[in-house]
Amino acid sequence: METSEITVPEGENGQDEATPLDIPSPSTNGRPVRVDPDLEFIRALRRSGGDSLKKCMQCGNCSAACPLSPHVNPFPRKEMAWALWGMKDRLLTDPDIWLCHHCNDCSTNCPRQTRPGDVLGAVRQQCILHYAFPGILAKWVSHPKYLPILLAIPAILLGLAARYREAIGEFLGFSVPMGDRIVYSFAPMFPHWLLNSFFGLFTVLALAAAIIGVWRFSRGLKRSSVWGENPEPVKGVLASLGSVLLKVVNHDRFTTCDTDHSRSISHFFVFFGFIALTVVTIMVITGPFNPLIRGDFVYPFSLWSPWKLLANIGGLAVLAGILLMIWERLYFGHLAGTSSYFDWLLVWSIFLVVASGFATEILHMLRMVPHRHVAYFVHLVFVFGLLVYLPYSKFAHMLYRTTAMVMAERYGREAGKGAES
Amino acid sequence: MSPDHKPILVIGGGIAGMTAAVEAAEVGYPVVLVEKEPSLGGRVVRSHRYFPKMCPPTCGFEINTRRIRGNPNIEVHTMATVEEVSGDVGAFRARIKKNPRYVTGDVSIDDSVVEQLTSDRPNEFNMGLDTTKGLYYPHTAAYPPLHVVDKEALSDGDVAVLTEACPPGALDMDMAEEEFTIDVGAVIVATGWKGYDPGNLPNLGFDRCPDVITNLIMERLAAPNGPTGGKILRPSNGEAPTNVAFVQCAGSRDENHLPYCSAVCCMASLKQARYIREAYPDAKVTVFYIDVRTLGRLEKFYYELVEDENITFVKGKVAEINEDPETHELILEVEDTVAGERPDSRFDMVVLATGIVPNTADSPIPLELDYDDYGFLNGATGVEGVFAAGCATHPCDVSRTTKESTAAALKAIQCLNRG
Repeated sequence: METSEITVPEGENGQDEATPLDIPSPSTNGRPVRVDPDLEFIRALRRSGGDSLKKCMQCGNCSAACPLSPHVNPFPRKEMAWALWGMKDRLLTDPDIWLCHHCNDCSTNCPRQTRPGDVLGAVRQQCILHYAFPGILAKWVSHPKYLPILLAIPAILLGLAARYREAIGEFLGFSVPMGDRIVYSFAPMFPHWLLNSFFGLFTVLALAAAIIGVWRFSRGLKRSSVWGENPEPVKGVLASLGSVLLKVVNHDRFTTCDTDHSRSISHFFVFFGFIALTVVTIMVITGPFNPLIRGDFVYPFSLWSPWKLLANIGGLAVLAGILLMIWERLYFGHLAGTSSYFDWLLVWSIFLVVASGFATEILHMLRMVPHRHVAYFVHLVFVFGLLVYLPYSKFAHMLYRTTAMVMAERYGREAGKGAES
Repeated sequence: MSPDHKPILVIGGGIAGMTAAVEAAEVGYPVVLVEKEPSLGGRVVRSHRYFPKMCPPTCGFEINTRRIRGNPNIEVHTMATVEEVSGDVGAFRARIKKNPRYVTGDVSIDDSVVEQLTSDRPNEFNMGLDTTKGLYYPHTAAYPPLHVVDKEALSDGDVAVLTEACPPGALDMDMAEEEFTIDVGAVIVATGWKGYDPGNLPNLGFDRCPDVITNLIMERLAAPNGPTGGKILRPSNGEAPTNVAFVQCAGSRDENHLPYCSAVCCMASLKQARYIREAYPDAKVTVFYIDVRTLGRLEKFYYELVEDENITFVKGKVAEINEDPETHELILEVEDTVAGERPDSRFDMVVLATGIVPNTADSPIPLELDYDDYGFLNGATGVEGVFAAGCATHPCDVSRTTKESTAAALKAIQCLNRG
């Protein structure tokens, strides 16, 4: 288990000797650092929510106001310095940008009215963009002008799958249920084997891409200067993962915030709604072979089937949570933080997935043809977007944040505490 | 010089107004000095020491009062406010309201009379840290050297005591509010400043923690004529502090409070650090700052303190102050930005370096003058014949104030002579 070894970088360019440009910085353990500003990186941060960056005067009020910041190498003041100086490498290897839960206690208290919370949000976006594989998809996800491509890909793929379902079925050895052989369902349009193999294939591809991104990221994390000299792990990887997952489930870090407590509530709803929906989806896909539900596995589920109930409750939870998030972002932006395109894309994607899901369900129950088919197709397009673009969108925060939190847990980097050295 | 010059109206009797008044009067020009408090001296006379020389301000202050007292060109009105100014340069007309003092000044009043009174009222001279009776002497260096009656504070018993114990002619309890107009040739606005209200900084705990005080309170605690007789003591238990923190920029340089630098708080805190080091040789002092702004010759003062082993300077703005419920220590949330860590910061007394707010921010002069966004007057004031000096125009120390006041006096004189 004890596989990770952390090495402290020797200056930005691997150099150790001071030059006139070198500035000794406490955040680099007193070593001189050659500041080689990446101006395009600074511009990117300022475009995506970090526009207040340049007003920072480095007073440290933000780090002191932050309820989540550790006592050694606290954040976000040092991140503000790195962002001001365009020190991209330090920011992209920094676990602290992910320990931040964007409560904006730092921003509401900032004497210069900069918004460190929003700057860290912008850095997190750059972080996903930097590590995601393949990079082109991350680029498409991060800019509105590529949105048509993002929508066209699932629409075309799903259209082709529906159009050639019989040929695909023949090739794979499945048949398309027809006429009175089936009860009223979507099966003639998308048979279950088709849906399962289509989404199965793309989920595996997305998962592989996500693993590559997170693997690159975790390698970057080890190079971070925040761990101090020769850090010793205080916990095993699995133990760290366990306590991090417990913290995530409990929303522990969210609820320490003073400024905007409601964010923990909306996230709580969306989080558990998604878990319910994931459980139902796994059950449905594995239905015919799953001993847990085998007995009552008859399509379509009755409204009172426990799985249908769980799905509807989960869907409503996500809907409630995401509506709360939209409301917060629209009307309480000073608390919830500046919302960039990257933020809105995820928020609206989740909303459209649940909204189109419920629309399909209602039209289906009303037996409205062809409306229900159109709604279902649109729903599948959005589901594809949410699922397959996960490694490139803000949705990837679940992977990146968890990775950073596990590493922080492992090296004793907790709120209000120093890295044990 | 013509003897029939109209007088110069000086609004405000602190160090700025007093300086302008004596400078103009001593070269022969008549001055009317209007002060809203019962005695002159404003903020400066409430200080324990001046920086950087560490001499008591009463020393220079007494020289000034002597210059005023001995000069027939100066007419002083205390407990008075300027209600209205009309007219133009060379021919202003000012309406002045004077609140009743109820003390005639013709017969002196013995301290034994004051001791017999029972009423208590907050003592504004000591920032409300103690009380005075309903008849009181403003402070030891008061000019004019007269008692004051706070009629509303007097109990029925007090009224009886005063009637009986005061010598005849000393009091006139029927004295009424007085209003009069004067013709003046020029106006000098020297209305000064007040401390930023620490109640606006709930995170710094002034209202929650008794041992969190302001720099203005510290001056009164250290002053021999203050509420503790010059002993710096923790308000919570009256004990000597052993470990004191100074929190700089408490409201200043803060877009949510006062966006500007208040200019004097760095030196004020360094000066107060010396009060503590002189009073308690073992006490430790830590100064938390964004930048130490001690310009020019004042830098030497700072470097002397840097040499002191018991004084620590930490670069970092304090975000929050809480009291440990068990030990009653004050816990500061702050990042030492040079070390890159959040040190465990516990103290038994904290001084908030609150900044300077111009009095004109909530009591503007009854004239159409140019103010900036924070209520400071623009130097040129926007009206010909009206000049401003000292903290009415920007935060500044005494040394700069007196120079500006002298300049304002000269401009006013030029104005009168232009005819």
